[in-house]
Amino acid sequence: MDDLSCSNQPLRVASVAEKRIPRMQKCIAVLWPSFMVAIVATGLFFSAFDPVDLFPFGHETGISRLGVYTLGFFTFWLITAVSGIGTLYFAVTNCLRANADKQP
Amino acid sequence: MDAPESKGTAAPRQSDEQVARSLYAKQEKIYPREVHGLYARLRALGVFGLLGIYYITPWLQWDGQQAILLDLPARKFHILWFTFWPQDFIYLAALLILAGLTLFFVTAIAGRIWCGYACPQTVWTEAFLWIERKIEGDRMKQKKLDAMPMNARKIRIKATKHAVWLLFSVWTGFTFVGYFSPIIDLGRNLVASNLGPWETFWIFFYGFATYGNAGWMREQVCKYMCPYARFQSAMFDKDTLIISYDELRGEPRGSRKRSTDPKAAGLGDCIDCTLCVQVCPTGIDIRKGLQYECIACSACIDACDDVMDKMGYAKGLIRYTTENALEGLKTHILRPRIVIYALFLAVIAAMFVYSVSQRVSLGLDVIRDRNRLYRETDEGLIENVYILKVLNMDATAHDYELRVSGIEGLQLFKDMRVIRVPGGEVLELPVRLRADEAELKERSNEVVFELVATDNPGLSATEHARFLGPR
Repeated sequence: MDDLSCSNQPLRVASVAEKRIPRMQKCIAVLWPSFMVAIVATGLFFSAFDPVDLFPFGHETGISRLGVYTLGFFTFWLITAVSGIGTLYFAVTNCLRANADKQP
Repeated sequence: MDAPESKGTAAPRQSDEQVARSLYAKQEKIYPREVHGLYARLRALGVFGLLGIYYITPWLQWDGQQAILLDLPARKFHILWFTFWPQDFIYLAALLILAGLTLFFVTAIAGRIWCGYACPQTVWTEAFLWIERKIEGDRMKQKKLDAMPMNARKIRIKATKHAVWLLFSVWTGFTFVGYFSPIIDLGRNLVASNLGPWETFWIFFYGFATYGNAGWMREQVCKYMCPYARFQSAMFDKDTLIISYDELRGEPRGSRKRSTDPKAAGLGDCIDCTLCVQVCPTGIDIRKGLQYECIACSACIDACDDVMDKMGYAKGLIRYTTENALEGLKTHILRPRIVIYALFLAVIAAMFVYSVSQRVSLGLDVIRDRNRLYRETDEGLIENVYILKVLNMDATAHDYELRVSGIEGLQLFKDMRVIRVPGGEVLELPVRLRADEAELKERSNEVVFELVATDNPGLSATEHARFLGPR
């Protein structure tokens, strides 16, 4: 993606550019794709498993199916977002190191 | 800071540093100017039609119940006369693949027509822009209002706008939840302020997303968040419909009096009024060529045609065209990629329709009793116990007949004389099978359960299971 690419930039520019990626864009880059994947994961997971079967004692905790779906969705989103943070981190740091190697 | 050299490009281009700066710069707010014309009317039609479908659909009734209800709490999905179950997930997957392929197909032929007329982001943004215009006034008034220091009038206008936006958003969220939870009950509970916590959460979550995306983010969603905007160019070729400025005809651009003869003055048809830039919801200049920010909304066509009319020039300086047509070549509609997309679409659609029409609304699951492998009866027969789960996916109740086969002289015992399952319900039925040990060929033998509806032989399901014995 354009926002993260720095392949042609020397280290100095890359680190400046890295700092210059607004926090908002980093947040969106992490949160948005993970959000979409979490929707798919939630759909797949709960079409295979009924919350009532997963948590037979759910009635006692008072969490309805809709509640379990909701919590499931946010759990998936958390997991996929953590993966996204990892990708962002490695993409930026790898690219910085690669540029450092290029320096004389 | 000195700019790094750009490699391998003959044409002078912006240095990477400049590109970086313009990409990451905090961007200025875009105030799209209102536009009238043929395409604006078409777009309004799209907005009204699609929003109408969205807001009205959950209220439609079919046979005394909600016509389209993806009932998540009950895990049943009612679409007109069909009821789908979570087991039918494959149909949803097929439907999504079909939708994706249709998008590719349409993109290859007509470019980003989806973005300009049908994408929810465009549709809700248009609605929000309309509300904004009604409250804040036109483009110039909006700019003036934003530039003025905070005062009572500004606060009043801004507060009104956001209140209307928020109300509209919450209604949108309410409608969204109404697709997944019966909307009439939802409405009743809302009036009685007796909504469940999760329903409330999703109404506000979706409402907030609408408010944020259509009120604040707008074209930034298309530029930074939309995956389709990034890869749609892969579907483009020289025969794809695009919106383009006719450079040959327009250049050299320049302002002039209406009475000036452009030829004599050495000018092209573009009078450089910049209206095409002012109406652009993504704030680009179409005259710089095809750009990925262009959502093909055709607002610039309307604006330019209007100006051409006033100047007495021919319309279409900015128009729907193809790269080939711009270069004076023939445009081909039928080309390999179109044929391939169409073939894929036709095959998958046919498979989808066939499999839905052949779908048997009966499910059978056989679970072996886990407590013991087998039992010897007083008569010396080998007995296995199973639990059958009979899932009637039809809307009406059915009686079923159960048959078993696989072993000579296999006997079936069940507690119920008639297997009757009401529409849309699951019945758990314990059954016992008995067989003579002499007939068992192995330690584990295959038996087949067959369930047939007594009123409809087409409604049947078979399931294989193991029958265990001492051998």
